Order: sequence, then C-alpha cells, then structure tokens
Amino acid sequence: MGALEVALLLFGVFIGLVILRVPIAFALGLACIPVFFIDERLTPFLLLNEMLKSYNTFILLAVPFFLLAANLMNSAGITDKLVALARTMVGHLPGGLGHVNVVVSMLFAGISGSSTADAAGVGGVLIPAMKKQGYDAPFSSALTACASVMGVIIPPSILMIVWGGVISVSIGGLFIAGIVPGAMIGLSLMGAVLIYAKVRKYPVYVRASLREFLRAVGSSLLPLMTPAIIVGGIVGGLFTPTEASVVAVLYALILGVFIYRTLAWRQVPHVFYESARFAAISLFCIGTASAFGWLLAYFHVPQLFVDTVSRFGGGVTSVGLIVALSFLVIGCFIDAIPAIIILGTILAPLANSVGMHPLHFAIIGVISIAFGLVTPPYGLCLMIACALGNITIRDAMRDVLILLVPMLGVLLFVILFPEAILALPRWIMPQFVH
Amino acid sequence: MKRAIDLFYRLLQILLTVLMTVLVVPVVLQILSRFTELIPRYIWTEEVARFCFIWIVMIGSMIAVRDGSHFQLDVLPKPKTAAGQAMSRLIVHGGMLLMALTFVIFGFRFAQFGLDQESELTGLNMFAIHVAWPLAGVAFTVFLGEKIWADIALLRGGGHGRA
Repeated sequence: MGALEVALLLFGVFIGLVILRVPIAFALGLACIPVFFIDERLTPFLLLNEMLKSYNTFILLAVPFFLLAANLMNSAGITDKLVALARTMVGHLPGGLGHVNVVVSMLFAGISGSSTADAAGVGGVLIPAMKKQGYDAPFSSALTACASVMGVIIPPSILMIVWGGVISVSIGGLFIAGIVPGAMIGLSLMGAVLIYAKVRKYPVYVRASLREFLRAVGSSLLPLMTPAIIVGGIVGGLFTPTEASVVAVLYALILGVFIYRTLAWRQVPHVFYESARFAAISLFCIGTASAFGWLLAYFHVPQLFVDTVSRFGGGVTSVGLIVALSFLVIGCFIDAIPAIIILGTILAPLANSVGMHPLHFAIIGVISIAFGLVTPPYGLCLMIACALGNITIRDAMRDVLILLVPMLGVLLFVILFPEAILALPRWIMPQFVH
Repeated sequence: MKRAIDLFYRLLQILLTVLMTVLVVPVVLQILSRFTELIPRYIWTEEVARFCFIWIVMIGSMIAVRDGSHFQLDVLPKPKTAAGQAMSRLIVHGGMLLMALTFVIFGFRFAQFGLDQESELTGLNMFAIHVAWPLAGVAFTVFLGEKIWADIALLRGGGHGRA
C-alpha cells in the first residue's frame, strides 16, 4: 500500500469513529489496527510499544505537575488576589471588568501552563461577577474562553512542553518566544473589550489610587513571582522544565497551606487526584497519537505531503499559513496534544524544507492549536466557560467569532514577521537560537 | 457484581492519588541533590519518576473509561429516544471494547517481552511496566462490559428507563 492509501485509511477510520463519538484517544488507536494487519512486518504489538515509548519521557512529567500547581493555586484562591490587582490596574477603563478578565488571564497564564485551569479559575470568579454587573452572559463566557487561550501561549505552557518534547525544540526558547504574541493577544482582546463597552455601555470602576494599586501588588506579589521562578529557573539553566514544574507545585502548596492558609490539608489529596486524572486523560492520547504518527512516518506520508505542497512552490510565509490553517482546522475537532503529535509530525519536514526557523514553526503551531481551545465543536475552554456562564456553546458563538478576529490578526502578524517573535529568544538565550 | 466493580474503581482512585504524591519525591530529591550536599546524587530518581508517571497515565485512563470522561466529540445530534441513546452508546463502547481486547491479547505478549528486559538505571524488570497494558485492557473490558450490559438490559426492557 502506498502513502496516500494508508493516509486515507488512517484518517478515514479515525474521523468516522470520532464522529460516532468514540473517544479521540481510542479512535486514534483503533484507526491504527487495520494498518498493522496490512503489512506483514507490522503487528498491533507495536501500538503498545509506541505508547510505552511516548510515555517514557522525563519531560512529559511536567504536564501533570504544571496542572497540579495551577489547580492548587486555584483552590487556594489566588485568583481573587489577581482580580483585586487587575482591578486597580485597568478597572477604570470602559468595560472595566472585561479588561480585568483579560489581565487576570494574562497574570494567571504566567503562573500556570494550562488554559483549561485558566478558564476554570478565572471564569469561576469573573463570569458570575460580570453577569452581576450587567455584562451579557455570552460575552462574559466568550471573553473568558478567548482570554484563557493565553494560558498556553504565555510561559510556562504545557503545549510548549509537549511540542518541545515531541519535536525536539528548546523549551526555554519556546517559552521566551511566547511572551510577545501572548501579550499582543491580551492587548488585542482589551481593544475588543473597549469597542464592546462603547457599543453596549458597560460599567466602569472609579480609578484606583496609587496606594490601592501598590497594596494590591503587595498582596499578590508572592503568586506573581511564580513565572520568574519557573521561567527564570529554566532559562537560567537552574532547573529542567520538569524540575521547575515540581518547584511550582511546592511553591503553590507553601503559599496555599502555610502563607495564605486558604488551602486545607484535607483538600490536597482531592486536588492531587483531579490533576492526575485530567493529566492522564490528555496524556493517554499522546500514546495512541504517537502510534498513529509513527505509522504515518513509516509509510512516508509526511514526505508525500512535502512533495505535494512544494510542487506549488512558496516560502516561509505560505508554509506558515498552511501550518496555521491546518492546526486551526484540526483544533476544531480534536484535543491540542494529539493534534501536535499528528500534525507536527507531518508538517515539521515541510517547515524544514523551506528553511522556517523551528521556533517560528512551533509558535505558529502552538498559537493556532491554542485557538482550537475556543472553536467548536471541540473547544475545551469554551465548554468550561459556557458551563460556568450557564449558557450553551451556541449562545456564545457569535461573540467568540467576533473576539477571534483580533486574535487571528495577531497570528497573521506572527506568520508575517518571524523576526518580531525570534528577537527576544535570540537576545535572552542566544545559545539555543542560531 | 456492581459492588466488586465499585471497589476496584475506588482502589484505582486511591492508587492514582498515591502515585501522584509519590511522583513528587524523586524529582525533589533530584533538585535537592544538585543544589545541596544533604543527599548524594542518585541516578535512579529520573527512572523511578518516569515509571510512576507511566502508571499514572494508564490508571488514569482506566478511571476515565468508568466515569466516561475520555475526550470525545459531539457533532451528531443526540438520539431522542432512550433506546436510540442506548444504541449509540453501544456503538461507542463496542468500538472501545475492540481496543480493550487488543490491549489484552497483544498486552499478554507485551508483558512477556518485558520479562526479558531490565531497566537501564535501576535494573527493574520491565514486566512491572509492560504489565500495565494487559491490565488496562482487562480494566477497560470490565468497565465497558458493565456499561454494555446495562444498555443491552435497557434495550431488552423495551427502551424504557434512564434516558
């Protein structure tokens, strides 16, 4: 069987099963099974072996730990402190609480590496607060979901860890490269909130005094130091990303249990359990997705793709657009982590063939796949935010589409101007970015 | 029967919590040994952490089969009748059962293959890791069997009962 037939079989079975509501992790594994029987050199034994190989990676341990750190911070009520701080910073702008939502998401993104933890933590506090102040529920949920996308773009980031682990890119470099686009997405969302506030006449807070601002900074200083510890530790070569994630867990535990005393010891096992369970569900997909990706590579499907696309010519920009579009489309239907493994494997040779910088390729991929967290039918952050706002996904769709416009603008900027993204990592860690 | 399955599920939940807690230890030791003189630089910490992690993923996947929380896509309209819903669940669980049986059948050979190997750093017999796959296969089968059984009973009863 040729590459094309195998690709059609794999993707055909996979898509068919997913539409029938077979869980994605299982659909990926099941799609592999017929292919294992086609070629006599292959056996389903390899499915199990590829799964084991993909889990046996020290770097992936950072995923449950970063999730755990974020959940511990959420349970300890750190979000309330961040809300108080954000309110003194941007509460006086038109649409005050909307800006607060975006800024808190940005701050939280620097503390956690997970957008779902961001959506759950920030949404849990701010969606009810926004509705109470007269903001429409669809807008509140849509904004929370879109802002939580920054969780995986601003460092630390679980998706960047998976990307770095699977496609072998410097994770420190990726983290640094995420800062500028993350901040741009935040600012673009705040611009959108301003327009919404003018049109819908949303309320504002009185401007906070400098003293109030300094007091809020003081009370949230300790959680705000988390990004410095994590990113600084990794970039400065003190910790590996996995070690940094454990430091984040210990730091969150100390803050919650001993300093703020908002987290009781008896809550801790439950937080550990829930974090491990959620991490395991995401990571289980890595195994079957890796087997799927391995089969694609075994039958030279990525090469077929490169040959087909390169016939049309094109350089970094057009490949950047292809990468973004592919991830945006697949991100609507499957979870971010298997998307990275499957598409990353197919697209990496293409990006390489036109001389695209691996960090540039990775950032385009991570941003596009992060947008998939708010695009239905499968958008985890949107599901969480809508559940918190007591509305259906359909209700929130219009506002999500409007808010996605400026965000897609940022993505286009990232594709067109690689230098703007690479400058910071080049400056901070030149040893990893040629 | 349900009591036995409940008990097994509870056991998995406890194991998962314990493993997640244990997972912190080797990584902390690794950091401590690098930055302080308190403990020697063990080389086994990394491997122990990785092996705990593999078990966390596999046990978590078993738990998620029972509580139905593996990620899935919702594009098809939901059937209106209880019988239709039971049928659509049967299709999903039947598909998942195929994968579970693959894990059981090929997992048996996979575990045997593990018996012949030792890990690089701690010399642990790899059976201890490989056996997670046939075990997951069995757990998937038990949990899916429970769901399939309930839906068949529902269909036989004429599609009344829970929707």
